Amino acid sequence: MELWKLPAWKIAEEVRRGNLSASQVVESHIRRMESLEPSLNAMITPMPEEARRRALAVDEALSKGTDLPLAGVPVAVKDLLCTEGIRTTCGSRVLGEWKSPYTASAVRYLEENGAIVIGKTNMDEFAMGSSTEQSAFGATSNPWDLSRVPGGSSGGSAAAVAAGYAPIALGSDTGGSIRQPAALCGVYGLKPTYGLVSRWGLIAYASSLDQVGPFSRDLVDLALVLEVISAYDPLDSTCVPGSRPRYRDALKAHDLKGQRIGFLKGYQDFDMDDEVKEKLAFALRICQEGGAEMMEVSLPVSTGYGLPCYYIVAPAEASSNLARYDGVQYGLSEEGKSILELYLKTRGKGFGNEVKRRILVGTYVLSSGYYDAYYLVAQKVRRLIADEFARAFSAVDALIMPASPTVAFKKGEKLDDPIQMYMSDLFTLPVNLAGLPAVSMNVGYSKAGLPVGVQVVAPKWGEMEILKVASVLTDAVGSPKVAMGGEG
Amino acid sequence: MAISEADVRRVALLARLEVTDEEARSLAEHFGKILEHFHRLQELELSEVDPFSLEGPGTPWRSDEAKPWGGRDEILSEAPRREGDFFVVPRIVEEE
Repeated sequence: MELWKLPAWKIAEEVRRGNLSASQVVESHIRRMESLEPSLNAMITPMPEEARRRALAVDEALSKGTDLPLAGVPVAVKDLLCTEGIRTTCGSRVLGEWKSPYTASAVRYLEENGAIVIGKTNMDEFAMGSSTEQSAFGATSNPWDLSRVPGGSSGGSAAAVAAGYAPIALGSDTGGSIRQPAALCGVYGLKPTYGLVSRWGLIAYASSLDQVGPFSRDLVDLALVLEVISAYDPLDSTCVPGSRPRYRDALKAHDLKGQRIGFLKGYQDFDMDDEVKEKLAFALRICQEGGAEMMEVSLPVSTGYGLPCYYIVAPAEASSNLARYDGVQYGLSEEGKSILELYLKTRGKGFGNEVKRRILVGTYVLSSGYYDAYYLVAQKVRRLIADEFARAFSAVDALIMPASPTVAFKKGEKLDDPIQMYMSDLFTLPVNLAGLPAVSMNVGYSKAGLPVGVQVVAPKWGEMEILKVASVLTDAVGSPKVAMGGEG
Repeated sequence: MAISEADVRRVALLARLEVTDEEARSLAEHFGKILEHFHRLQELELSEVDPFSLEGPGTPWRSDEAKPWGGRDEILSEAPRREGDFFVVPRIVEEE
């Protein structure tokens, strides 16, 4: 049996029963990772030795009777979540070989439940990008077609799960960075409600938008991981206290009777690949056949102005968050005769093109004389977007939208045109601006064999609702296939 | 909206970013296009709209208590230049 093909819940079940050891499971995934990594480059820091050591510790804990719900489950972690003792790079040169003195809460929760980190995944530098090409550690390839991008910024995590390095992974989503790569790699990716999952130990990009979330190839796994990582964390002041539902209960739904599902009015007229439109229509038919009442919804501000709104708000926050990389306390540090020269050189050398672009845009829109014209305007538009979704959700329980306007595009295709690259997130950005939960999932493959995804969006704290819809869609389309990653 | 290389350099200095001549040229080009895109927002009527603020069930206040932290040496050991418990930077105050 090829253990790397198993879902996480199955691995945990077999390991807890003693039918498999965590070491066997980890070994199988490490071999899969090592055979495909030369062609995929999904990892910045593979951790085979640490994972082997940790597997032995899990096996020993189990033998002493410790209950570990995720016993032996390998997990790939986006390299902006801190891991004690292992470098965290954020896909940048500016952090050098920096090691965090603590582990991010979401990662720690998984480890405490018996999961085993097998490596830190590749990403667009500081999560700024939609293709995982803008990493200081080279581009990641899409495991369905190596000449194409996996999406981004959590492209390494999406590719790692699609190709079977691990059944689950963690990413972060500021404007679509979980949902767009999940769609392009043909896996599940969930962006939780703002405030659901702890961000302690997540390196900040845009703090009013960032959320940590899971990837998987199996819907039960997605719900299971969400249950574990969404535990309240007093260390993150934006994490909302209280208990969370048992998300797996949402998956008992096998029809949508009594549910009202919305879809974008005139979606056929949006600038999207035809095959994306076809699969979206297919997903809507499944919901209808499942008993849902289908309703047209109009979101003109979100779809028409979400993109410029986001590209003011997010860079503004980024310019402030990234001020900390100054070459004094940690990371890369260039020599300078003055402190100003040290800052200029360190940051000039440490950051890549897209990060520089966003820091400059953010600094500009916040600078004296421009704040009212840009930042204040964007915050007002953000209010309109949040209100527009709230109105839509007075009429529907969930919305089905494209996750990405295109299937995976060719490497290099959008690298010289930032606006074209930003358009990749047209349908995902407004969801972050409004702080809503959404799940992106595979609903089929294009004629060329590339995955096509849709996203299901719900009101705040509507994770049960989106999982319910995802469950009915999964009944009809089946779970995602494992990508060959260039093999065979 | 045209953005000059001088504009880029002025903002880059505010952001403490050194940019090469080539970067300034390409950033000026992209920057202009991005700002042009932003101007679409002026099509919206916003005079009666309140700016967005994060809201929700709210997060609790907590007391401001110091707690022991065992990672002090690990943090200091990451310093690019260090003397004892101090981070070393180039001279900030000029000599007379």
